[in-house]
Amino acid sequence: MSQDNIDILQRALKREKSARKAAEKILEEKSLELYNTAQKLKEANEKLELLLEEKTSQLQGVFENINDAYLIMDLEGNALKMNDAAIDLFGYDINKEKLNVIDLIYKPDANYAFKSFRELRKKGAFTDYTARIITKDKSIKWVHINASVIYDKKKLPIAAQGIIRDITEAKRTASLIEDQKRKLAKSNDELQEYAHIVSHDLKSPLRSINALVSWIKEDNEGKLDAASLQNFTLIETTLEKMEQLISDVLNYSSIGSEEKEKINVDLEIVVKDLAKILYVPGHVSINILGPLPKVKGYKTKLQQLFQNLISNAIKFIDKDKGCIDIEYKVLKNYYQFSVKDNGMGIDKQYHKKIFKIFHTLNESKNSTGIGLSIVKKIVDLHDGEIWLESEPKVGTTFFFTLKK
Amino acid sequence: MKNNLKVLLIEDDMIEVMKFNRVVTSLDLKCNTVEANNGEEALNILEKKDELPDIILLDLNMPKINGMEFLSILKEDKSLQHIPAIILTTSNNRKDLLECYKLGIAGYILKPLKYEDYVTKIKKLLAYWSINELIKT
Repeated sequence: MSQDNIDILQRALKREKSARKAAEKILEEKSLELYNTAQKLKEANEKLELLLEEKTSQLQGVFENINDAYLIMDLEGNALKMNDAAIDLFGYDINKEKLNVIDLIYKPDANYAFKSFRELRKKGAFTDYTARIITKDKSIKWVHINASVIYDKKKLPIAAQGIIRDITEAKRTASLIEDQKRKLAKSNDELQEYAHIVSHDLKSPLRSINALVSWIKEDNEGKLDAASLQNFTLIETTLEKMEQLISDVLNYSSIGSEEKEKINVDLEIVVKDLAKILYVPGHVSINILGPLPKVKGYKTKLQQLFQNLISNAIKFIDKDKGCIDIEYKVLKNYYQFSVKDNGMGIDKQYHKKIFKIFHTLNESKNSTGIGLSIVKKIVDLHDGEIWLESEPKVGTTFFFTLKK
Repeated sequence: MKNNLKVLLIEDDMIEVMKFNRVVTSLDLKCNTVEANNGEEALNILEKKDELPDIILLDLNMPKINGMEFLSILKEDKSLQHIPAIILTTSNNRKDLLECYKLGIAGYILKPLKYEDYVTKIKKLLAYWSINELIKT
């Protein structure tokens, strides 16, 4: 072999060596890359597994901890899985015995149950199923159920799940409340009847006394002296006051018993009409400032409310020129009304007392002490409040609110 | 007035009966009054079909058969249902008022407190029924 040939071979060998080295290096890098990728994948996988575990345990938690009963059944109604709440509710434990939900159906509700079951299969879910079930110990319970079908990967139905709430207690409470409401309405009616009868029985003797007094007067005309005649007049006045008192008590007890439905009442019309019917002495003027609003309420009661406040104001005006201002302002949920007079005023210590029944500040013939308690009762009936501001000798303003 | 008005007064309160009679006497009204203390007594009186009253004045609150029950019986009875019945009562109970008109009454008068108001009311009542054409038996 010539020296040239040897050189050529050695160069070739060298080239090959360095090429291999380069290749080895590339391989090394690639394998490192691959290792890293595998490492990352492994981490991701671990994370996913962790997540899955977490979700599973969350679900398990939900399954075990919800207060409502939870049940999974196959499409024939055989219970596959149920939580403790379900075991408690139904009395069956599927770890020990078989349970088909049909066993739970309370006979009278069967039609409804099967209808809902068909709906579940057809539409994939039902909500707000409310019916009775019969538990293992033969007790009947009211339940509320929401249910849905569970599908496999190919979207084929494989099972159904339901959340069952025991509403027996709620049902019982509701029916108890209904019962109480009926009883209350009945006893209210009876009380109303009673008030009418009592008022009749109390008024009858008054009429009799009045008749007897007039007869004595008639039959002894010219024989009675002035003092006796005066006393007879006092008897008659007392009788009138007594009768007014009875009427007012009856009236007070009747509030809220006759009109059943609240309607839209135009207070502008109500108050204007009142100003026409009420006896307003010449020296008193009633000013309605601005058109009054419409409110939802009982018309005759609202009329009585204004009537009592206005006639009260008239009664206690002691000035030469009386002035009664009626106005209102708009609040968020209420209208606030005011009836202002320039009468004798009411001392602060009586501001609360005057709304109590039979509390009258003035012993006068036409004051029975019921007017303002009727006012208060009517305001209460309309979810409002009433109060007053007053300065003795200057005047009084009654404020009250009515719900919009 | 051609004939006296025949009135059946059904009233349990003695003084109320006295009041009615006093008005009739003192005003010299042409009126024959038959008194019954309650619905039961009134029904006995109405047994005599040849002496039926022209009108009936009826109190509502009474023992035994009360006014409303009496009214129902009266309006069921073919031989009596034509007799005008006028309620004379203290009760301005809207329920009673509606019920009475539904059963079929010819009037509903509230007994006033004052005797003089009572006189006015009875005078007008009897005057009104005296000028009416009545179904005589």
